[in-house]
Amino acid sequence: MTTYGGWVGKILRVDLTTRKISESSTFDYVPQFLGGRGLGAKICWDEVPPEVSAFDPENRLIFATGPLTGTLAPTSGRFEVLGKCPQSAPVESFTRSGVGGHFAPELKWAGYDAIIIQGKASQPVYLWISDQKAQILDAKDLWGLDTYQTQQMIWKIHGNKTRVMAIGKAGENQSRIAIILTDSGDVSGQGGFGGVMGSKNLKAIAVRGTGSVIVAKPKELAKITHDIQTLFSRRSVKGNPYEPEEKSFKYNIWGGGYGRGSLTLLPGELLDLCNDPASGYSQNPDGCFACPVSCRSRVTGPDITPGVAICAGSYMYLESMVHEPEKGYSKVTWQAAKLADLVGINAYDLMAIIPWLSDCYRAKLLTEEETGLPLEEIGSWRFISTLLDKIANREGFGDLLAEGGQRAAAKLGGKAEELSFMYYPRAGKFGGFREHWTFLGGFPTGYSVTPLALMWALDNRDAMVSHSYISMLWGAAFTIGQNALTAVPEDIFPILKPVMKAVYGSEEAAEVSGPDGKSLSWKWAAPVVKRFHEQSLLKDSYVVCDMLFPYAFNANSSDHIGDTSLESRLYSAVTGIDMSLEESFQKGEMLCTLERALAVRDGRTRQDDILHGIYFEKEDAGGRKYGREELERSKTDYYGLMGWDVNSGIPTRSTLERLGLNDVAQGLERTP
Amino acid sequence: MATELDRRTFLRRCTLGACGLGSIIAFGDLLQVHAVSNGHTVPPLAKAIVIVDKTLCSGCRTCEMVCANFNGDGQNSSSHARVFVEKEYLKGNYQPKVCLQCADPPCLKACPVGALQIDRSKGTYARIIDEETCIGCQECIKACRQYFRPPRPVFDPQKEKTFKCHLCAGDPQCVRFCPLGALQVARSEEGFLVGYPVIKED
Repeated sequence: MTTYGGWVGKILRVDLTTRKISESSTFDYVPQFLGGRGLGAKICWDEVPPEVSAFDPENRLIFATGPLTGTLAPTSGRFEVLGKCPQSAPVESFTRSGVGGHFAPELKWAGYDAIIIQGKASQPVYLWISDQKAQILDAKDLWGLDTYQTQQMIWKIHGNKTRVMAIGKAGENQSRIAIILTDSGDVSGQGGFGGVMGSKNLKAIAVRGTGSVIVAKPKELAKITHDIQTLFSRRSVKGNPYEPEEKSFKYNIWGGGYGRGSLTLLPGELLDLCNDPASGYSQNPDGCFACPVSCRSRVTGPDITPGVAICAGSYMYLESMVHEPEKGYSKVTWQAAKLADLVGINAYDLMAIIPWLSDCYRAKLLTEEETGLPLEEIGSWRFISTLLDKIANREGFGDLLAEGGQRAAAKLGGKAEELSFMYYPRAGKFGGFREHWTFLGGFPTGYSVTPLALMWALDNRDAMVSHSYISMLWGAAFTIGQNALTAVPEDIFPILKPVMKAVYGSEEAAEVSGPDGKSLSWKWAAPVVKRFHEQSLLKDSYVVCDMLFPYAFNANSSDHIGDTSLESRLYSAVTGIDMSLEESFQKGEMLCTLERALAVRDGRTRQDDILHGIYFEKEDAGGRKYGREELERSKTDYYGLMGWDVNSGIPTRSTLERLGLNDVAQGLERTP
Repeated sequence: MATELDRRTFLRRCTLGACGLGSIIAFGDLLQVHAVSNGHTVPPLAKAIVIVDKTLCSGCRTCEMVCANFNGDGQNSSSHARVFVEKEYLKGNYQPKVCLQCADPPCLKACPVGALQIDRSKGTYARIIDEETCIGCQECIKACRQYFRPPRPVFDPQKEKTFKCHLCAGDPQCVRFCPLGALQVARSEEGFLVGYPVIKED
C-alpha cells in the first residue's frame, strides 16, 4: 500500500482487440506526472508514436483523473480525456479534453486513477467497470442509440448510480468532431475523442464504485475547502437559488460578472417560460461534483430535452435569435444544442461551421442543391436538424462536415477555405480549433491583448480553455461598469496592475498597449504566457476546474488580488506531499515541455506556432493590430524562457534533462 | 409539516410501536426514556434536525463528501456518507436525503444490543450508533428501509459496523458546507416531532 493520499493506485488497461484486461500501478507515473493531463501526456509519450493515426486501433484513448478527483476538494469531479486527436488539422496530434459532472469520482471509487483503451473490438461493445473489476460487454442493442438512450439502457442493467460516458451516432461514424457525453450535458468536446471511441467499436464506458479515496489530511482539506467556499460563493436566498444571501457578493468566477447557473439562457421565449412557475418549465443552478458555485443551469420543460447547459453548449445556435428575433433565445435555440448532444457532435466546432456555411452561401460558394442543406433559412429548426442529421450519419455534404470545419474548408479550398481562417486562427499544421477570445471582446470586434495572441500561437488546441486570464480581464471590466464585450484595455489597466503583480510578478504586465494608445506592448507577453501555461497544466493535472482555478481575480475585495496557491494547498492536503507554489510551477513547466515534445514528435516546429494573416491585417476596436514581427519576437522570448531552441521551438536536450525528462530527450533525438 | 401534528395524534400512532419500546426499556441505563400519559414510552425527541429545501439543491454532492471526510478517517467517498443526494440526472430532480431523527425511531427499536442511543451529551438528542457496542447485524438498516429509502444507517463492510448520521456533535458539516444553503439545522428545546411515525415514507 502507498503512503500517499489521493491516488487510488491502479491504472486499468483494456485491449479491445484481444479482450485482455490488465492493471498497472499509477505510481509508475506519479507523483512525477501528477495525474490528468500530465499523466495522460506521459502515457501518450510512451505508447502513441507519431505514425499511429487517431483512428488507428493502436491509438490510446485515455481517461485520466487526478489526485484530487473524488474528494471533498472543490471542483474535484473532473477528469481529462487524452490521446492522438482526430480534430487537429491538417496533422493529427496529441491533445486533451476536460470533462466535468460526476463520472470521474465514480471511477476513482471503483479503484482506478485512469483507463487506457487500446485496440478495436470486432463488434460493438461497452465497458463495465465496477469495484476493481472490468468487463467488455456486448453493445449491439446500444449501437445507434443517442447519448441519453444509451445511458438509460445502461442504467436499467447496472442501476442508476452508474455513471456513463457514451457516444452518439457521430462518434459511431467516426466524425472528427464527435463528443463523449455523460449525464445530461457534460462532455469531452474538443479533440474529437468520440470518433476515437467509435473507431474502437466502443459505445460506452459505464462505471460504479463503492470504494473511497484516502485523504492524507482531512482536517486541512476541510479547512481549505471552507476558505475556497468563502471566496467563491454564498448561500442562496430562500426561494431563489441564483441570488446570494449577501446582497453585494459576487460569485467569483468569470471575474464576478456571471455566477451561479447564469451563463445559460439568454433573454427570450425559453427564459420567460422558465420564470413562469405555472409553465412547467424551469431553470436551476446545477453543480458538477463538489462544486461550490454550480455555474451551469439545468433546464427542463414538457416539450424540450432536459439537460445542463453552459456557454458553448447552450449558445451553439444563436443564429436562431437572428432568424426569429421576436422570440429571442427560443426553444429552437435550446433544442438545437441538445440535438447536438444527443447525436454527439461538438457544439464548439458547430459554432464555426454554421457561420462559415452562412458566409460561403452569401458569397455564392455553396448552394442549397449541392449541400442538401436549407442554407436560405439558417437559424431555423429545419436547417439545424437537417445539418446535424447529415453530419451524424455522414450523409452527403454531412460526410465532409463530419471531418470538422477546418478540414471541410480545406477540402473545398479557394475562397471557401479563406473564409474559414477567421474561425480557425492557427495556421500551420496544427490548427483545427475554433477561435475563442483571441481578442478581448471577441473576434472581429474586440481589442488586441498581446498574451492572448501568443497563447493562441502556442497551444495544442484552442487556447482560452484556461479561463483564468480572460476572467481577470473581465473582472477588471466589470469593476468599472464595462462588460465582457465592451471592455476597453486602457480603462482596466489600473484595476489589473496589483493583480498582475501578484500573479505574474509585474504591474507593468497589465499594460498591453503603449501610452500613445496606438502601439501594443509585447514586453510581458512571454513571461505572462509561461506562467499561465504552468498554472493551466497544474490545474488540469490535479484535476480542478477552469472556471475557478487559478484564482487570479477577486471580485469582492478592494485590491482584487486572488490567491493562486489554492490548488497546490489542496494537493498537499489530499496527498500529504508538501509542495510549495514555486515547486508546483516547476512541475507545470516540466509538463508543458512534455506536451511540447509530443507535438514536436508529431512534426510541430516554430513555423506552426502562427496565426492566419487575417489576425495581423485587421485593425482591432482601438485601431491597433497584432504585429507579425512582434509575435515572432515574443515567441523567441517564450522559447528562451522555457529552454526550448529559439530557432525551431523544440525543447533542448539540456532542458529536458534538467526537468527530469531524460527518456523524452532520447526519444526526441530519434525523431527524424 | 410534521411539527404541526399535535401530540395526541402522535401518541395514538405510537401505540403501534409499544412492543418494541418495551424492549428498549431493558436498556434503560443507556437511554433516557420518556413515559407518557397512557403508559407507553418514547425516547426523548431530537432537539436538532437537518432540514432540506430541495428546491435549492444543485446536486453537487458536497454534503456527501464533507460528511465522509469529516467522519470517515479521511475516506472520501459517497459510500462513506451519512447523507445521500438521490439524483435523477437527466431530468434533474435532486433530493438530498438526511436522517430525520425519528420521534420513534424504527432503527432504535430494532437494535438488539442497544448500540442505537440518544446522544444526550451533545444536547442534540440525535439518534446515534455507539460504534463500540454495534455488532454489525444491520437490523437497524432493515428497520429503516421499511419506511425510508435509502435506509439512513449504512453498513461499513471493512469495519463490520453500521454508521449513521449523528449530527456531527451539534454542528452538522453537511449544513456548514452546503454551498447553496439547501441544508439547514433547526433547533428546538421542545424537540421535533418528525420522522417515523409522523412521516412514514421518504
